[in-house]
Amino acid sequence: MAIIECREVCKNFGEKVALDHVSLQIPEGQIFGLLGPNGAGKTTLIRIINRITIPNGGEVLFQGRPITQRDVEKIGYMPEERGLYRKMKVGDQAMYLAQLKGMSAGDARAALKDWFIRFGIQSWWDKKVEELSKGMAQKLQFITTVVHRPSLMILDEPFSGFDPVNADVIRKEILRLKEEGATIILSTHNMESVEELCDNIALINKSRLVITGGVEDIRRKHGNNNVEVVYTDGDGRHTEVVQNTPGLLQSYLEKGLQINSYRELMPRMNDIFIKLVTEAK
Amino acid sequence: MNLRTIGVIIRREYLNKVKKKSFLITTLVVPILIAGLTVGAMYVMMTTKDKAKTIAVVDGSGIVAPYLQDTETIQYRFVTDTPVDSIKTRLEALGYDGVLSVSALNGETKDFTADIFSQKPFGMEVTDDISDKLDKALEDYRISTYDIEGLDRILKEVKADVSLKAYTVAADGEEKLSEAGVYSIVSMLLGIFIFLFITLFGGMVMSAVIEEKSSRVVEVLVSSVKATELMFGKIIGVALVALTQFLLWIILSGAIIGVAGKAIGGGLLAGTDPEQIAAMAQQMGGSEIDGMNLEAPSDLEVVMSSLRNMNVGQIIGLFLLFFIFGYLLYASLYAAIGSAVENEGDTQQLQMPLTIPLMLGYIIALYAFRAPDSSLAIFGSLFPFTSPIVMIARLPFGVPGWQIWLSIGLLVLTFAGCAWLSAKIYKVGILMFGKKSTWKDLWKWLRQS
Repeated sequence: MAIIECREVCKNFGEKVALDHVSLQIPEGQIFGLLGPNGAGKTTLIRIINRITIPNGGEVLFQGRPITQRDVEKIGYMPEERGLYRKMKVGDQAMYLAQLKGMSAGDARAALKDWFIRFGIQSWWDKKVEELSKGMAQKLQFITTVVHRPSLMILDEPFSGFDPVNADVIRKEILRLKEEGATIILSTHNMESVEELCDNIALINKSRLVITGGVEDIRRKHGNNNVEVVYTDGDGRHTEVVQNTPGLLQSYLEKGLQINSYRELMPRMNDIFIKLVTEAK
Repeated sequence: MNLRTIGVIIRREYLNKVKKKSFLITTLVVPILIAGLTVGAMYVMMTTKDKAKTIAVVDGSGIVAPYLQDTETIQYRFVTDTPVDSIKTRLEALGYDGVLSVSALNGETKDFTADIFSQKPFGMEVTDDISDKLDKALEDYRISTYDIEGLDRILKEVKADVSLKAYTVAADGEEKLSEAGVYSIVSMLLGIFIFLFITLFGGMVMSAVIEEKSSRVVEVLVSSVKATELMFGKIIGVALVALTQFLLWIILSGAIIGVAGKAIGGGLLAGTDPEQIAAMAQQMGGSEIDGMNLEAPSDLEVVMSSLRNMNVGQIIGLFLLFFIFGYLLYASLYAAIGSAVENEGDTQQLQMPLTIPLMLGYIIALYAFRAPDSSLAIFGSLFPFTSPIVMIARLPFGVPGWQIWLSIGLLVLTFAGCAWLSAKIYKVGILMFGKKSTWKDLWKWLRQS
């Protein structure tokens, strides 16, 4: 079932069209990659899902019914442009944002304590935000996004600003949250993490939806249906790239070759992205 | 509108501001300033200036001596054996503060000249006093030269000095002594205060909006609450800060004035005998020494009576009411402007349309305390963008009830309208980054949302 369904969503700012009849489904319990070049309309779509922006046309369904203001309590949003009150204490800040998401003060405090311990940052509670380094502030921002246990998390470029170690911490947390049943929308330009994390994607270019579907399907569809076969004959090991046809392996075996490995060759998401975006020009 | 989240926003805004050092400082400094000025004025009024001045007099005319009697502030030493020139070079050594030199009488013009020399300049009070006394000496001398019997008495009888007592008459016929000057001062102070407070706290809302926008926290906030909730939470939070500050100011000023006043008053009373106090009170009252109008009420009495006549409770109540709605009106507009910029420096141009009516209100208020019932003052006190300032300045003079209620009604309606428009601008503005916005952009956003 789709946690979010966009039906013919349109948004324009004056003359400028930001989204043009975008329809897509975001399946529950999966990681959904929202891709597209800068200025394609991703942020507008995210803001519409968050009810920050109201669309000019079309509708957004949350768990099968039109989304309401109450539903935003079940969403956690980490915008690309991170922001916290600089002069506020870390603890107060996190408490405030959690309470705005509908948590009681007691629940918020308990949940935050857990997260602070998990990230080993208990000592930050009374520090001011301006005393934190960029990476530290990012961690805090991540916590404030997920502390109210949202069923949908929207993370815009979640890894930017993190060093590899901390990026890995966040990656693991995202996977853990998915395991616990949350849905995650990942907006990113990092195609490696799309391949690694995402189950489904949507590509938006110039206000329009270009493609949406499962990552594997899309990669397969955009491949040349090539396979890499590694086999051994009397001379030793060989690697061959050939068109995949029914009975391909059979033909190798019939030649008396020993097959060491066989894998589909799928194009990288990066190449698909570039191809689809430049084709549109 | 989700009241719970608005409550959370108000709470943060309030605590955040109230916990700031600057809040504590202004809360403490302003009453100390107010109390300091009040107590200082009291002190100056109640204490005689400095120690009495000693002035040597070289009298060439021979007629001034009887008129130059020692007073509390000036003591005269008549010198006959030393020329002025040798005194004025050795003032300090001789123990004089100054030397007064009166020339010989010119028999023809019945005139003399007088000069006074000192190392430190005398205040006007001293020179005026001596000048008056010399005038009197010369006048009496001239009268005596006419040789008309009883001329002295006749002139005294002829001299007129009417003291005009102003009363306000209430509907029930009760007559109250009043003084336009007192009303004017109270009116001016109220006008200045409400103008300052609206600017101060309206500006505070604007800064808070800019802070959220420039730190980018606003996008996270509006993903949790509606932009309108955020805006009103902020405006209400700052309003509560303002009310807290008022309350503390009133309490603290009162306490300081009370304590300090008692200390100064007590200190003075301890070292003075009752007769002197009575004399001092009379002096403060400004009654004429010749006793011609001793029945005239003293200035102090008029001030107290005038203050009593004003309905202080009503004025404070209406002051708060006009402040709150004036603040709400302007704060919502300030919020819209704050949403359009990313740093405080860029607000100058956008703020103009708000600053102009505020200044205009202030100017009309200054005019209103001279002509509280002029048509300009009445217009200013009804026009919502100036009414909080002008109406409050007119209040001490008494304003018909219907005008007050009409003014409040118009103010509330305008606030509702402006808040609605501001919220529309705010919603779009807070998410606009990168470009310096103009009024044209604000207009565009208004039509967009």
